[in-house]
Amino acid sequence: MADPSTVTLHGGDLPWRPVSPRLARVRLVTLALLVVPLLVAAGVVGLLVTRWALLGLVVVAVAGAWAAWVVVRQVSAISWVELEEEIVIRRGRLFRTLVSVPYGRLQYVDIQSGPLMRSQGIATCEIHTASPESGGSLPGLPVEEAEALRTRLSARGEAQRAGL
Amino acid sequence: MTDPVVPPPPGELDGWQRLHPLSPILRGGLVLLAVLGYAASQLFDQVLSSLGLGSVVPDGIAEGGPDDPTAALVAHPLLALLLVLGVIGVVAGANWASWRFSRFRVAPHQVELRQGIVFRQHRQVPFERVQAVELSRPLLARALGLAQVVVQSAGGSDSHLRLAFLSLARAEQLRDELLERAGRSDEASPTVLSPGGGLPHDEVGVATAPPARAGIPVLQVPNGRLFVATILHSSTIVLGALLLAALGGTGLGRYGPVVIIGVPAVLPIAIGVAIGRVKELLTHGNFLIADTGTGVRVQEGLTDLRTNTIPLHRLQAIELVQPLWWRPFGWWRIRVNVAGAHGGGEGSEGRETTLLPVGTLDDARLVLAVVAPRLSREDLHDGALGDRPQPGWQAVSNRTRVLDPLSWRRNAFRIGPDAVVLRSGRVTRRVVAVPHARVQSLTVSQGWLEGRLRVASVHVVPAPGPVDPRLSHLELADAELFLAEVSERARAARRAASRPTPSLAPDPPGLVDWSPQQQGHPHDERS
Repeated sequence: MADPSTVTLHGGDLPWRPVSPRLARVRLVTLALLVVPLLVAAGVVGLLVTRWALLGLVVVAVAGAWAAWVVVRQVSAISWVELEEEIVIRRGRLFRTLVSVPYGRLQYVDIQSGPLMRSQGIATCEIHTASPESGGSLPGLPVEEAEALRTRLSARGEAQRAGL
Repeated sequence: MTDPVVPPPPGELDGWQRLHPLSPILRGGLVLLAVLGYAASQLFDQVLSSLGLGSVVPDGIAEGGPDDPTAALVAHPLLALLLVLGVIGVVAGANWASWRFSRFRVAPHQVELRQGIVFRQHRQVPFERVQAVELSRPLLARALGLAQVVVQSAGGSDSHLRLAFLSLARAEQLRDELLERAGRSDEASPTVLSPGGGLPHDEVGVATAPPARAGIPVLQVPNGRLFVATILHSSTIVLGALLLAALGGTGLGRYGPVVIIGVPAVLPIAIGVAIGRVKELLTHGNFLIADTGTGVRVQEGLTDLRTNTIPLHRLQAIELVQPLWWRPFGWWRIRVNVAGAHGGGEGSEGRETTLLPVGTLDDARLVLAVVAPRLSREDLHDGALGDRPQPGWQAVSNRTRVLDPLSWRRNAFRIGPDAVVLRSGRVTRRVVAVPHARVQSLTVSQGWLEGRLRVASVHVVPAPGPVDPRLSHLELADAELFLAEVSERARAARRAASRPTPSLAPDPPGLVDWSPQQQGHPHDERS
């Protein structure tokens, strides 16, 4: 296993693993569900009522494109690594966070996946400790990988469990 | 914790006990007092008016004419008496029945309570889930010599087991018994052996020495000091300044009317502030903290005297905090995170988590000597009062002093052998210590501006509570070093905690040691 002392907020030599790019697809679909009706509404109003609404159309389109770019970058920024005694999750580019959760502190691990995520075969792995704010969530893992991760985490948690 | 009711197996019928027979009276006592009080006030009023002394309540209420029900009742005293007795009877009956159906027992591995007539409830709290045991004595209970025992478990206030009421002696005995058993089954996870002699936790409670029952008093907070400290709060200071400004304003004729119009607007705020302050005073009055050997016993409450015993190993993080207004007096407050005390709802906020409502640094040392015996004097002193770079303390970045113009010299961390200590704040001074063995997880974060400045913030996450240890704007390299270092120490501490026998080599002297090995004998060297 890699040397745990080299956990860094940026880059690093650890075998950081990305999440599935299908997560970006799921999030883009969600975004589209929000943006497309707005676009259609603006277009209809622009054609039938006032041309000024076409300006709104442009604004919505630009904002939607920017949001899509952010989504893609965000998803590609999520990475995680399993060390000997901790799992470390990094996310974000502009606002970066890094959570390091020791296996011994795990209370339970949830796997969640909505219909959209299921259709892409991915799931979210939620890690819970005794403190509600300290858990990490790892979205966009392929379902079988999420379940394997949960099994691994549970086994290690059991082996390294420390009292509260 | 709430299991569906199953009839107890035949062999388990023994050991079930009732609550104190006076408890239904006490539970119904408030209703009784209210009914009697209402009746008395009505009667008194009628008597006064019949004597021609006039009404003591506004006309519209008292002089209801012949339709007034109270008038009818006074005309028929027997009816009134029957009504009052009826209400009392119903309340008493309900309480008596609920008492009749409530039973509790201390089973070998858990404490159980059955209650309810229609909706039956059987609540069991295993000893290893007991976080703290509280003794509460409301005013009426104190008058009758009764007390209520609240067994707190990790699931928040909904999962607490409340035994109301028991005689004081029985309650204290039960509390000690529960704490003794709970303390013994500490850290009793399937893979961890109990720290004492490597006994599996199934054999807990066998051959244990009785704990020091009453505890050694450590510190008492004079009510006078608490009063002054309670007044010295940002809300009261701001209000006072407003009042002064208002008084000055009324002096100037031009602004007088404006100020007088403004007064009613301020009134609700003033009342809110007053309620908050009085509540604080009521909660922490008569504060006394004692050392019981394996925990601390906090007794507090001006009217509702509560005694709460917190096992030392349930302390997750500890904080010393000094608001600006307390600085002239050198006062500090000690708060802690206690596993299981969170989510206690409004009423219990601050109750289970304040180990010193107000005290000097010396007072704080006395308390810390009990709860954190290895916090050295110098570290405490530096952490509390230090405001410039010191050896052993790693300060935050000096490139971002524009973001922390006052506190950039003071904000620093120190990684001790047993705990990580964060100090921060020039206006409100704060020192937080989290033992390595209690770190739940670690977070490093970096906002957009922080990213530009190449600094980052760290957050040591303990079990939830009022203490939230974080430090902003460290140099990125320092933050990553902090992460690596604290992770490493936490790893070692967890390994030490899960080792069946304590290591032979003496631990290095240092800050705080709340590791389980210490529980048995932490306080002999204190004085």
